[in-house]
Amino acid sequence: MKELTAILVNSLLAAGLYATMSYGLAVIYGVMRIINLAHAGVLMLGAYATFTLNSRFGIDPFLSLAAVIPVFFGFGVLLYRTMVRRLPRSQAGPSIESLLLLFGVWLVLQNLAYAIWGGDTQSILTSYTMKSVSLFGVRVGVPSVAVFAVSAASLLVLQLILRRTYLGRAIRAVTQNRDAALISGVNADRISAVAFGIGTAFAGAAGTLLATMYAFTPDFGRSFLLKSFCIIVLAGMESVAGVAAGAFLLALLESVVGGYTTLPTSFQDALSFTLLVVALVAFPQGLLGAFGRVTSRHRSIP
Amino acid sequence: MRQGRRWIRLLAIEAGALVFLLAAPRFLERGTLNDIWNVAFAVILASAWNLLGGFAGQVSIGYSAFIGIGAYTTALLALKGVNPYATLPLAALLAAAFSFVVGLPTFRLRGPYFTIATIGVSEAVRVIAGGVSFTGGSSGLRMPAGSFDFNSNYAAMVILAVGVVALAAWVKASPFGQALAAIRQDIDAAEALGVNSTKYKLLVHALSAAIVAVAGSLFAINFQYISPGSVFDFRLSLSIVLMPIVGGLGTIAGPVLGALLVGYLQIKLLSSPGLRDSYLFIYGGMLIAVMLFEPKGLLGLLLRLRRFLWRFPSRPVPDAG
Repeated sequence: MKELTAILVNSLLAAGLYATMSYGLAVIYGVMRIINLAHAGVLMLGAYATFTLNSRFGIDPFLSLAAVIPVFFGFGVLLYRTMVRRLPRSQAGPSIESLLLLFGVWLVLQNLAYAIWGGDTQSILTSYTMKSVSLFGVRVGVPSVAVFAVSAASLLVLQLILRRTYLGRAIRAVTQNRDAALISGVNADRISAVAFGIGTAFAGAAGTLLATMYAFTPDFGRSFLLKSFCIIVLAGMESVAGVAAGAFLLALLESVVGGYTTLPTSFQDALSFTLLVVALVAFPQGLLGAFGRVTSRHRSIP
Repeated sequence: MRQGRRWIRLLAIEAGALVFLLAAPRFLERGTLNDIWNVAFAVILASAWNLLGGFAGQVSIGYSAFIGIGAYTTALLALKGVNPYATLPLAALLAAAFSFVVGLPTFRLRGPYFTIATIGVSEAVRVIAGGVSFTGGSSGLRMPAGSFDFNSNYAAMVILAVGVVALAAWVKASPFGQALAAIRQDIDAAEALGVNSTKYKLLVHALSAAIVAVAGSLFAINFQYISPGSVFDFRLSLSIVLMPIVGGLGTIAGPVLGALLVGYLQIKLLSSPGLRDSYLFIYGGMLIAVMLFEPKGLLGLLLRLRRFLWRFPSRPVPDAG
């Protein structure tokens, strides 16, 4: 029983982080039908930005979010304006060109990190890194609780923006039907730029949060990219709540496998990659099919 | 008539290249031969990948798995006393079998979703290969002493390279290749016309996987030492994808051009420490440049240049193919 509580608490804490990390990918896919492979590079860059702010200026990793989020938002808009926008837009689904373009961006970002920070493994140590607190009788690290709180707060703010503001309504409109949104007077190009910015900002913030819990190198981020894919494929991308549910599902599965089986930890990553393939195949239409299924279920309610 | 001329030209180039490359050990020094070996290896990988990625339009970023299967089949059997070259057919067969295992579920996915699934598969393979004991774990495996002879390995590599390019040309012109082209252009239309897309995709995947595995076997014989880090590396998968895209996707000459460029770059990069640290920058930059400015790659650039130089063509420039 105690073990079960431990697993539930741990997966819930991990799910917050996973959801933040996945939402960056989901919003870009939703608005532009683009699979952003540069996501992994941005996660890594977010981690290093926080590292530099912490080691040079002694800024607390969680406070550094105040700088990381706007800077990465700008970076995302720049990326969209200079590159992504120039690609031919495909109607049916994501194009392989955009995937390869952003793959190239990822590689360049990786090399940038090697050039600036070198290839050594880095980590951020704060006064609370090793501390732990008791939550429902389970000992958990202070950083993971803080990460969960920040993730939950950012997702809540995002949910408010999406539901209550013009920008949010426009983003949802373009996600549902770009042409109809254009006809209704939504500037889809601007919304795309903003969505790319939001996605990148979320990835950068997720990188900051990851940096408080894990060690990282410029190669960091690939396994988290695959986990993010896994989550949005599992959950569909209709809503913030859907992404959160998918994140919880993956985190739960990882905790259960880690807690109840003797599988070596190195194989646990292989598990989520395998799950990704299974999830992709179980939705033969890919993300779009999962997406379509969720929306059609909503539509059937009169 | 034009078609016939094209075949004769191709055969002449291929025969010339084969004769030159096989005679090269008589008058070139070992360092240059090593470079040729590397470029031939790159040509094989690029042309074989292009069968699936270029002709059928299924971009897979997971080909290092097949190199690893080939290399490990050869190394493990050689350690049991089998002649390394006798293991090549088995390596090809195992890789083809594995390509079915991967392809059966993932070919239900389309376009970028297939690509993502291949990243997932190759990462899973890499992680598992690093964790199981028969691969030698992170310390790797050493081939038995006395199994190495550079000249025979060199000859096998260049024959395979020239053969793969000829095979690609033949596949492209055959009904099989036309079915693949139909799948690339519009998979629904191809299905409607009676093309069993899954069957063709599986077949071409198996064919290219088998070729890549044989190249992996020759790699193991040449380097005498393999580890999961060297043969299942994500960077290897990456350069395999990069070469045909930079050269010109779905063409015969494109992957060769790309392999020459990237293979040459790799040799240069390895010999200068300053550049070695910026290879990701160069690879990424090439990908971005190709996607933004010339999706048909170097070959497209050359064709555009030719059209620019001969501004008044005597006959209308035919469409691709």
